[in-house]
Amino acid sequence: MKRLRRIIRPAIVPALAVLSAFLVGSVFMFITDIENLKSFPQDPTGTIVAGVFNIGEAYYALIIGAFGDPSKIFAAIGSNDPKVIAAAIRPITETLVAATPLIFTGLAVAIAFRSGVFNIGVEGQFIMGAMGATVAVLALRDLPSPVLLVAAIGLGTLTGAAWGFIPGFLKARTGAHEVITTIMLNYVAAQLVLFGLRSDFLRQPGNDAPISKVLSTIVRVPLIFDLPAIRLHYGFIIALIVAVLVSWFIFKTTKGFELRAAGFNLHAARYAGMSAGGSIILAMAISGGLAGLGGSFEVLGTAGQMTNDLSAGFGFNAIALALLAGNRPMGIVIAALLFGALRTGGGLMQVKTGIPLDLLVFIQALVIMFVAAPVLVRSIYRMNPRPLDEGSPV
Amino acid sequence: MTAAAPTMLPVVNEMGEADRRALRSARIRGAVIAALGLLCFGAASGTMDVNATFSFWLVTQGGEAFTVATSVGVLWILAGVASGVIGLTQLWKGPAFPWRRSLVILVPLYIAAIVAALLNGKVANMTNVFAGTLEYAVPVSLGAFAGILSERSGMLNIAIEGKFLIGACAAAISASIALTITGNAGLALAVGVCTAMLAGVMVGFLLAWLGIKHKVDQIIAGVVVNIGAIGITNFLFLRVLGKNTWLNTPPTIDRIKLPILSEIPVIGPVLFSGTPYLYFTLAFMLFLTYMLFRTRWGLRLRASGEKPSAAGTVGIDVIRIRYRSMIMAGAIAGLAGSYLSLASAGSFQMGMSAGKGFIALAAVIFGAWNPIGAFGAALVFGFSDAIQSLLSILGVDVPPQLLNSVPYIVTIIVVAGVVGRVRGPAAAGQPYDQG
Repeated sequence: MKRLRRIIRPAIVPALAVLSAFLVGSVFMFITDIENLKSFPQDPTGTIVAGVFNIGEAYYALIIGAFGDPSKIFAAIGSNDPKVIAAAIRPITETLVAATPLIFTGLAVAIAFRSGVFNIGVEGQFIMGAMGATVAVLALRDLPSPVLLVAAIGLGTLTGAAWGFIPGFLKARTGAHEVITTIMLNYVAAQLVLFGLRSDFLRQPGNDAPISKVLSTIVRVPLIFDLPAIRLHYGFIIALIVAVLVSWFIFKTTKGFELRAAGFNLHAARYAGMSAGGSIILAMAISGGLAGLGGSFEVLGTAGQMTNDLSAGFGFNAIALALLAGNRPMGIVIAALLFGALRTGGGLMQVKTGIPLDLLVFIQALVIMFVAAPVLVRSIYRMNPRPLDEGSPV
Repeated sequence: MTAAAPTMLPVVNEMGEADRRALRSARIRGAVIAALGLLCFGAASGTMDVNATFSFWLVTQGGEAFTVATSVGVLWILAGVASGVIGLTQLWKGPAFPWRRSLVILVPLYIAAIVAALLNGKVANMTNVFAGTLEYAVPVSLGAFAGILSERSGMLNIAIEGKFLIGACAAAISASIALTITGNAGLALAVGVCTAMLAGVMVGFLLAWLGIKHKVDQIIAGVVVNIGAIGITNFLFLRVLGKNTWLNTPPTIDRIKLPILSEIPVIGPVLFSGTPYLYFTLAFMLFLTYMLFRTRWGLRLRASGEKPSAAGTVGIDVIRIRYRSMIMAGAIAGLAGSYLSLASAGSFQMGMSAGKGFIALAAVIFGAWNPIGAFGAALVFGFSDAIQSLLSILGVDVPPQLLNSVPYIVTIIVVAGVVGRVRGPAAAGQPYDQG
């Protein structure tokens, strides 16, 4: 019983937060349903019923889009037709595909938070990592596939780590506030990507748009299922493994302990002999590396080529994730699945009901707000992400 | 400090670690500046016959122009001479030399030389550049004032960007509604501005409430507001404004030309024929400086930010001051947002603030938490943006992304203290426990 409680307890507040956020989001959906509201003067009850019905329709589309249509799933059971099976599992695999980069970026933010640094630059580190991987593939294209893949991912990770190193170094050496430097570097990274994509080396020939040459013909991350239109690749599995590794690193190694100590109280850590500046730089570099890793997998596994909107808001999503999960790696995986479901389902919701995806962005912000308020009251203020609950944090 | 030495120059073996570091960085600085001067002379030798022409509208845009024409080489020589003089003075005088003030001379000379070199003979209309600078600087400095107000009282305000967006959206929608209902443009504009300020006030209050009452980490709260603002304004734009464009057509604000002042040659068209926002910004800058540093109210505010415990002991209501300053900051930021949609662009577009809220934060730091300094910083950022527009309009072959990155890179340099480390309010960001 105690074991169960240990798992459920930390999930209560986030669950309530998500619920409350959705309630507020529903209200917004209702009051912006202008066509429906136009009939309010004549038929108030009808309007409200219709509005609620519309909201229900939207959420139904959301769930189906994220997890699957029951009718299609029924048809797939027992069927041998790959197309039917593919249609049934497509939603859930798309959710997992969407969750993969979120796991990486969420881990990146969490490890930084735990070390006392706010890494708002995950977005920039992500696309820099993707750029690094792209450049590597195009420059080393003659290497055998497995080697090329590993090299590209490695280079992407290093690029992301370098992009995270910069604000970490600036903070350690000059005290520059990492919130501003990381955000600025996000914008610079976006410009760099645009610039790179317009160069002849990267750009798709015969096309003026900022898209790179197609990479998937050269090398790509292997798919898990060989079914038509199913995009799930091994990046998801790697993400799960990385989450376990990060969890082990943070909680079971000396270096991880040093980082956490720096996060709790930088002065005390320094007094205990740990290098404060070193912790900051290491944390930011690891954080950037994780984000870059995510970017590499995204460009080599999901997208197949580098575009300038590859990241599409992962940065802020990652912050929401990390906060929702209390900076716990395993919680991040769950939260990433949730957000991935929202994104995939939201796409269908937008198609079916016309409600823009951005409402979900707004709901995410509300989720963070609800999570952050009561929880952080309990903890020591400033950089402490979460007090240690009874027992091991997982 | 150690026993006061009567000499001006520090005796080396009596210096502490900090003094030694200051002397060393002063020497490096002097050497670097002098070396740059030599480079300038090198650049000058090759460009003596390239034209550099700067034109200014005399009184009205498109009217008579007043031109200054020299050669690029001359500009390089000027920069080189200045560098040499300043560099050598720095080397001679040591850390006591106020080198930051010398930047006021150095930087413009260098910029003039570099821009002229890039233009390579084309004529540059500087009036447009300066006007563009001011236009960029208005929202940024208003945002900076908001940031100064809140941070000086002890509250970190990262959410300026979000307030910009919300203010812009609120202003556009409410002004459009008012215009449709009343048909009176002036009234609609007033409604738009007030709604924007009100929205900013609400957001400011929310941030204060979260940070003070619930002790939510202020950076997280700020990030939340920014995310929420992007989400809700994008959502509104796509869901509501896309189909109902009548909700996004506010009246535009005309420029107001001050009667006599705008007739002053060269300066007039730049400084005195702007939107009302410009005049408000200038006036508010002076007003805020006065209030912050010359009144009791300002003193109490600053005390709340520096040492709230001491302030509380003397009977200052730190909590109330922080609430009030966040609310005021929200109003100003909302006002800046309304500028973006009503004056600058003419309607609301998704993400139209483009990071200006964060640049405003950089302006706060660059300007040492001082309204006048922040305005100066905003001018610097605005100028780099305006130069980028100029170069791209004139077809100079510099990749636009490079120029676009300049404000962001400058921000990083500033924040990293290359231009010198400034100290912010000591208690900024720390929740205050009224004991």
